[in-house]
Amino acid sequence: MNETTVSLPRFAVVGHPNKGKSSVVATLAQNDSIAIAMEPGTTRDSHRYPMTVDDVTLYELIDTPGFQRPRKVLAWLQGHSLSASDRPDTVAAFVTQHADDPRYHDECELLRPIVGGAGIIYVVDGSVPYNREHEAEMNILRWTGRPSLALINQIGSDDHSADWDAALGQYFQIVRRFDAVRAPFEKHLDLLRSFGQLAPDWREPLDAALEYLQALKFGRDSQALEHVADALIDMLGHQESARLGEHESAGPMLPRLRQRWQNWQREREQRLRRSVEDLYQHRRLQRQESDLLTPDDGDLFSERTRQLWGISKTQLAAAGFGAGAVGGAGLDAVTLGHSLGTGALIGGLLGAAGSYYYSDKLTRLKLGPLSGGFREAVYGPLKDPQFAYVVLGRALVHSYEVSQRNHAGRDVLVVNEAGDHWLEKMDRKDRQRLHKTLQSLANRKFEPGKRQRLIEQLEQAQLAFAEWQMEQFEGS
Amino acid sequence: MPKALTLLLDFDDQYRRDVQQSHAFLHRRDRRFAQQQEAHQQPLTVPDWLAALHALNGQRRNGKRDPRLRPWRQARWVFAALGALLGAGFMVGLLWYDGSRQINLTLLIALVGLQLLLALLTSLQAWLGWQPWGSLLGPRQSDDPLASLRPGLCARIAHTGGVMFAVSGLMTLLLLVVAQDLAFGWSTTLQASADSYHRLVMALALPWQELWPAAVPSPELVSASQFYRLEGASPANPAMLGAWWPFVLMLWLVYVLLPRLVLLMLAALQVRWQAARALRAHPGWQGLFYRFETPWVETRGEEDSQPAPVVAKTVLSPLPDSATLIHWAGAGQDSAPLAASLSRAPAPLHLRAGGNSSLEDDQQVIRQAGERRDAVILVTRGWEPPTGELSDFIVDARDLWPAATLLALVPLADEAGSALRDEGLLAQWQRFVDRQGDSQLLLCAPREQETA
Repeated sequence: MNETTVSLPRFAVVGHPNKGKSSVVATLAQNDSIAIAMEPGTTRDSHRYPMTVDDVTLYELIDTPGFQRPRKVLAWLQGHSLSASDRPDTVAAFVTQHADDPRYHDECELLRPIVGGAGIIYVVDGSVPYNREHEAEMNILRWTGRPSLALINQIGSDDHSADWDAALGQYFQIVRRFDAVRAPFEKHLDLLRSFGQLAPDWREPLDAALEYLQALKFGRDSQALEHVADALIDMLGHQESARLGEHESAGPMLPRLRQRWQNWQREREQRLRRSVEDLYQHRRLQRQESDLLTPDDGDLFSERTRQLWGISKTQLAAAGFGAGAVGGAGLDAVTLGHSLGTGALIGGLLGAAGSYYYSDKLTRLKLGPLSGGFREAVYGPLKDPQFAYVVLGRALVHSYEVSQRNHAGRDVLVVNEAGDHWLEKMDRKDRQRLHKTLQSLANRKFEPGKRQRLIEQLEQAQLAFAEWQMEQFEGS
Repeated sequence: MPKALTLLLDFDDQYRRDVQQSHAFLHRRDRRFAQQQEAHQQPLTVPDWLAALHALNGQRRNGKRDPRLRPWRQARWVFAALGALLGAGFMVGLLWYDGSRQINLTLLIALVGLQLLLALLTSLQAWLGWQPWGSLLGPRQSDDPLASLRPGLCARIAHTGGVMFAVSGLMTLLLLVVAQDLAFGWSTTLQASADSYHRLVMALALPWQELWPAAVPSPELVSASQFYRLEGASPANPAMLGAWWPFVLMLWLVYVLLPRLVLLMLAALQVRWQAARALRAHPGWQGLFYRFETPWVETRGEEDSQPAPVVAKTVLSPLPDSATLIHWAGAGQDSAPLAASLSRAPAPLHLRAGGNSSLEDDQQVIRQAGERRDAVILVTRGWEPPTGELSDFIVDARDLWPAATLLALVPLADEAGSALRDEGLLAQWQRFVDRQGDSQLLLCAPREQETA
């Protein structure tokens, strides 16, 4: 074994079958392909998940099969050991002797990396009561003499972690609680940090790994906003066009162009979804969200979605009426009572109200000048400001959910709709700036050079959204 | 077309191809390139990056011009030809001279001024990005990488036409000077004296008065050149009127040709600068340099492909009558209703094996159960997967028990003794029974508990 191998921190995640080993590895390795509910008894090998930075490995997680015959293994070890000092060698001898024995395949797979120098991460389920049947497994692991950490994973709703904590403390150097499915990213880092405490040599590479992982998360969050910005630029300014003959009526063209336009918007939104999920390496995510192709239920353009996400028609009508009836500071008085706080509207109140009426006129096609016997019929962009907020809101919910989601999660990602408006959490001036930018996109007056500014505004929006989301979570 | 435009288009093409790729692939690919450049102490530039990708893809830059630039190139040629044609026609028309009266310098100066104004307006439009006639160029596609460069490109084309117009006009002027006896004069309805007209032409001739004094008209020439159409009289010295041509030549050169040349160069610089700016503002630019500069962090390791589980063959069998219950790892041991639902015997034997029992205890349980020569019910926790120890226990029991002893495996849904209903959990027990290959091993559920 060379020096590099010796100093490389390696952690074998071991335990009883179905106690969440793979969930822990899936979350820490950010790999949603890892089988979470592998059926024991079928042949299974260990899997290695190295954390590499530019091809330099900083640590390695090893997912192992669960113990199948711990009492027999312990009996074998006890029967071949003379004193406490020979226990690690005895475990190694067990692995050597049973390498080809199918009965002990799983035990050999899980013990081999430990015998080879890996640290032990022993996973138990904290939602079931502690019982002594795990003692054989824990004794075997103690016989290896390797640095060890016990992880109390919470699979069910009951909490017996205090009992586990006390029992595991007798066998393992460190005991930690970790919910592989729900633990936030900071907890992942805390756990990895405690891995580094198992051996003095492991601290430095683990600390370096943590820095890279933090930077990776930060980079992904930024890139996700870039994707959202690009989708907004594409979607809000999108036009569909077709050529019309000189004497051809524009009427029949309208539904076709509108359909094309809507399909394109839906496809583009789905492309954004996939690209954000790919960014966070969620490759097997099942998503449940309002179907854009079903106009009656949560459709991007449905009245229900409009009210959930955007500014309601009533608010806009009131704001529009107020704009005509009062002026200056009065505008705020008219609009501030609404749930939005109308920050998005105040910046361009008249424009917003005007745009609202535009939305009903969008059924008209814009016809270009006659050229070569043809005219160009153009549909879009949609001038209704609600459209921008609908797209933005949906994108922020999705990217937030994906960024917070652990790779051990197997449940369907539900992209929820929001009943209240997150824009309230944004600073008034930031809202105005964002609103102006969204308007310029819808007016096709957005200059590519302002993309970075849009991303910065989206950062503000994302922060506001996260704050609002936290309040919703705490309030529920 | 400048390289900046080709670079922008190349970059945009690559970006569109990359959109289809995963982030992981792109990051690895671009980070690798950045590391190679660093290792070879080469600068990290977009042209180098594109060249490396082209080389890897076997694409050769064969010198062919980008077809998307063809319309702009063609428009430039058309404008150049039109400019040349119009310039000659314009000058012929302006200097049309049948000997009946002089060529009016006032009109010539005004038209030169108009040319200058048009040239300046063209550039101003391009600098401001204002194109009220832009729709003539067709709809502006939002994904057109050249969209923001349109005003600059248009200005360059217009100035190319303008330069050709000026050159052609200049050549025609020289030709006419040589081939004809041009007589220039000046005339205006305004009450302008020869002195004030002289001051005007002196001001216009300022740029070249040191360079070519002969091209600066003298007061005598100005005075002698004034004419009135009503007079109809021939000038005193007709040969003198031809002496204006150096002035006209320099006027055209300095106020038409030179500004057009300067503005054409500025338009070319503007296009180059805007192309570079468009490249930096391109949606793919920031991402590319992020990938260059950020180490590639990989945590996923190998992909874990799980084989599809085998279809279970075993089905649930009726629970046999038995007075021997073995609780594996103590499953359902404390549930009295469970015992009643498993055995109709008044006092069934409850044994415990597995879990924290010793292996010797397990053997003892097997012996005890075998001695009763009765069917045996083995109760397990259905939510926990069957282990190798359970399998060993069954195999060991078979060795000691009479061959026909029925063994009913009863996985529970909870400690209270409910029947396992979850199909996924039940399937792993069905497959476990399949794997045992034991015809006397049954998979059963507890009987429905009778309500009092």
